[in-house]
Order: sequence, then structure tokens, then C-alpha cells
Amino acid sequence: MSMTVTRRTFLKRAAASGIAAASIMTGARKVLAESKSTGKYAMLHDLNKCDGCEHQDTPECVLACRIKNETNYPQPQHPIKNYWPQPKHEDWSEKRHITDRLTPYNWTYVQRLEVEWQGKKIKVNVPRKCMHCDNPPCSTLCPFGVNDKTAEGPVVINPKGCFGGAKCRDVCPWHIPQRQGGVGLYLEVAPDLAGGGVMYKCDMCHDLIKQGQQPACVTACPRDAIKFGLQHEMRQYARNWAQENQGYVYGDVENGGTANFYISKIPFEAINAAIIEQDLDGKTGRINMAVNIENPLDEPGTMLSGFVMAPIAGILAAGISTYHIMKGGADDEDQTP
Amino acid sequence: MKIKRHNLAIRFTHWVTATSIFILFFSGFGQMPVYKRYFVDQLPGLAWSSDFLATLHLHYLAAMALIFVSVYYVTYLIVSKRWDIIPRRGDFKESLQIFASMVGLAEEPENDKYLAEQRLAFEVTAFSVMALIVTGIFKVYKNLPGVEFSSGAVFWLAQIHNLFTVILLFSIIVHLAAFFIKANRPLVISMFTGYIDKGYVERRHAVWWAKLNQEQDRSEAEVLSAE
Repeated sequence: MSMTVTRRTFLKRAAASGIAAASIMTGARKVLAESKSTGKYAMLHDLNKCDGCEHQDTPECVLACRIKNETNYPQPQHPIKNYWPQPKHEDWSEKRHITDRLTPYNWTYVQRLEVEWQGKKIKVNVPRKCMHCDNPPCSTLCPFGVNDKTAEGPVVINPKGCFGGAKCRDVCPWHIPQRQGGVGLYLEVAPDLAGGGVMYKCDMCHDLIKQGQQPACVTACPRDAIKFGLQHEMRQYARNWAQENQGYVYGDVENGGTANFYISKIPFEAINAAIIEQDLDGKTGRINMAVNIENPLDEPGTMLSGFVMAPIAGILAAGISTYHIMKGGADDEDQTP
Repeated sequence: MKIKRHNLAIRFTHWVTATSIFILFFSGFGQMPVYKRYFVDQLPGLAWSSDFLATLHLHYLAAMALIFVSVYYVTYLIVSKRWDIIPRRGDFKESLQIFASMVGLAEEPENDKYLAEQRLAFEVTAFSVMALIVTGIFKVYKNLPGVEFSSGAVFWLAQIHNLFTVILLFSIIVHLAAFFIKANRPLVISMFTGYIDKGYVERRHAVWWAKLNQEQDRSEAEVLSAE
């Protein structure tokens, strides 16, 4: 009887200490998040200003991005093998000219839309690129640890370490990174069996940011529709603008928070409906703008208490086992029955 | 007559460890984009295998079981003071002798409860599990919202975790391959039932057998003196 009481008490204490430990860690996370965010940068796209450079084929931001990243684009070895046993591979090297979707050779594009809202059809242009999430699943779940959420805010793929499995594209809520085959580390390891190239996407011009400059698309925009600054300032600007103008913000809460904000007088639900109808074609590189996307990694975070409980339960269970053995229980080893 | 080789605590540890490591391997390999590419998700009942979040959840759950049982086992060893499986001085040399005896180049040494090579293999496996748990805990922590590690830390955590996965996989393959050797097979049954034939102990575990008899004599002596 006393044993039962002891066990029960122990379980209660174990549960209490588990919860305490979990809450301490949660507190630590908040402090960490706040202290680190001060040096982080973000972009803000004002859709009320962006006209998609409507009088030219390719918008200025897209052109600037392509010029800036010309030397970063893949130079694949041909012929590119299929991803055995799949009868396919991804090769954009002959389609470098494409500017109206995300490809390994085009890291930003503008969705030129006609959005139906309040009974009217309104032209809306949405410059799209990596959202540089606060807790990016693409980076966190990279099996080789070569996709980095940098201290400055941009999420940057290391092309030298990337194997091109395209997991980052699968776990990204917008499926943003794009793959080019015939390039990268996998060619040196087992090109027939594993890997598929290198993943490419916007890096927010990380090199320029570190030099104290702005991303190329920000500088190039003729209508001052793309702003750049500290993340908390951009966030505050977006929220204030939305409140004062009865407008909407995208990128603030999506996927748990991002470093790429959009502000608009038209709700993003309506914009996304237009994207689904006019832009998406079922192939990679055309991306949605779904509202309130939840971060798939938030849920495993709640499993934290399980990791705190596991060792406590281990000690408790061992205590029970050895208690029986020490008392010379019938189940002891090294005995004849 | 049979001798009790593994009590319930050890069998529990062994099978919970084995099951959780099997699930960890399957779900861990699923963190690389291989199950879709190799059509594993086309197999009946395995459609979920190419869902990275499903395998991640499974990996976390199995990791909890492995941490639980590892702490259980370490606590058990410390409290019960049963160090039979811990490597000793001279184990490396003795292991070579065991391998030589397999191909008829030497006599098998007289063994204790565990063979020298079992003690060494245990150390490799246990160290790998420990390294995987430690790097794994850091990886779980890194995945939480608001937590960021430097790119170097992220890279090396992934590499060390992956490296020890390969070492552990190799050590488990060797562990299973040991049962191709006929002399080792009675040990398989004892990991299920706990018991092993007395004759087997006398033949192959002379040192252990001597210890068992010593203990028997002592307890009989205790009974006599009490009388």
C-alpha cells in the first residue's frame, strides 16, 4: 500500500517538475527570440504602390534580381540523369529566360492579377519571393543542416552542401525553393541513387545586407513599393498602416511569422482567390498566398513536455524494478529456477 | 536444468530499445526524401511514409521511448551494480581470440556471462545511442519556434547525428549477423524467455558458471549458519 502511495506521489511530482521545466524552456525561448530579433531585417511590399511595371515585359525588381544573382545561377553538367528509379529530372538551364514564375534562374516574380472585390475588378500586382520565415521549416528540416536562418534574418541555402532532395520545397508552405539537376554535391557521391541537384531561392541579398546595403529588388523598384529595414520596424509599419487605413497585412502571422511583409487595401483572401484562378498552373514555381498558414513545426513543439517526462519516467520505472530485485524478488538474474 | 540469464528488466530494456531504434531508423531515413523517390509510399499501408511531418512526429515519439528506456537502463545498472556488460581490461585481445577460434585458429577463451566481444560491441552501441540522443535533443530544441543556432552548429549537429546513425546501423547489422553462428543461437531464446540451458553455460561460460556456483555455495552456507 505504501508503495502505491509513493509511486503516485512520485508521478505527481514528476508531472509537476516536467511542466515546470517545459515552462522554463518556453520562457527562455521568448527571451532568446526577442533578444535576437533586434538585428534582423525584413522587406515590406506595398501592393497599393506596386504596378508590376506594367509598361514593360519584366518588372524592374525581377530584372535587378537576375542581374545581381547572375553569378549565383547554376551551371549544370549535361546530360542530366534521371532521378532513378523516377523517370524524370529537373532542368531549367534551357529556360533561363522565364521570368513569370520561380525557377533556379529566377528567384522573384510578379503575379499580375485582376482581383474581384466589392463587386469591382481591381488590378493587383504581387512581387513574390522567399518569405524568410522566423522558424523556417525548410531550414529546420534540412537533413544536411545546410539551409540556414541567418542572424540577419534571410534564410540562405548553401549550394555547396545542398544535395537537391527538394525536401525544403515540400515542407515550405509556399513550395518556394526550386531545383536544378546536374549540379552540386550529389554528382560527387552517388548521382544515380541519391540527390537531385541544388535548391535555389531568394536569399534577400544576404551578402549586400552584411555590407550594410539593401537588397537589389528594393533599390531597383521605381515606385518605392518595396521597403527594407529592421524586422520589428517593418512589422510595426505594416500593422500601423493596416490599422490607419483599414487594410490588411500578409506575412506577419503566416507560418508563425516571416521577414517578408505585404500590405494591401484588398484582403489577401481575395488576392489568393485570384492567384488560384489566374496564376497557379499545377506546376512548380507558381505560389499561393493562403492566409493564416500554420507552421507545421509548432505542433512538435508541444511534444517538448514528452521529452522532459521521458527521463523522469525512466528513473521512476528503474526505481520500481530495482526495488523488487533488491528485495530478492523472484525475477532476479543468475539463478536457477 | 535452466539458468536465468536475463531478468524482466533486461528483456524489457532490450526489446523497448530494439523497437524504438527500429522506428527511429525508419522515420529517420524518412527525413531524407527517399521514400517517395523509391516508391516506398506506394506500398500498402505506407502511404504516410513520404509525409515528412508524419515521420518527424513518429521520430519524436520513438526518441522519447528510447530516452526513457536508456535512462531506465543506466539507473538500473547503477542501482543493481551489475557491471557484467561493461568492458574490462584485455577485452580487445580476448575478442581477437574469440574471432580466431571461430575459424579454428585458437581455443575460445573461458567466458564470463558476456563474451569480451559482446562487452566491446555493447560499448560501441551504447556510445552511439548516447551520441544520437544528445545530438537529437539539440536538434529538437533547435526546431522550436524562436530558437536559432549558428549555421556551424546546425551543420555539425546534423553531420554527427547522421554519422552515428550509420555507426549504430552497422553495429546492429553485426549484432544480428552474430546469429548466423550456430553457437550463439541459444542466446536468442534467452532474450525472449530469460532462460538458458545449464549445459550451455557450463560449456561456453565457464567463468560465469564458477561465479554462479560460488554464489550457490555461499547462500547454502548462509542457510546452514542460520540454522
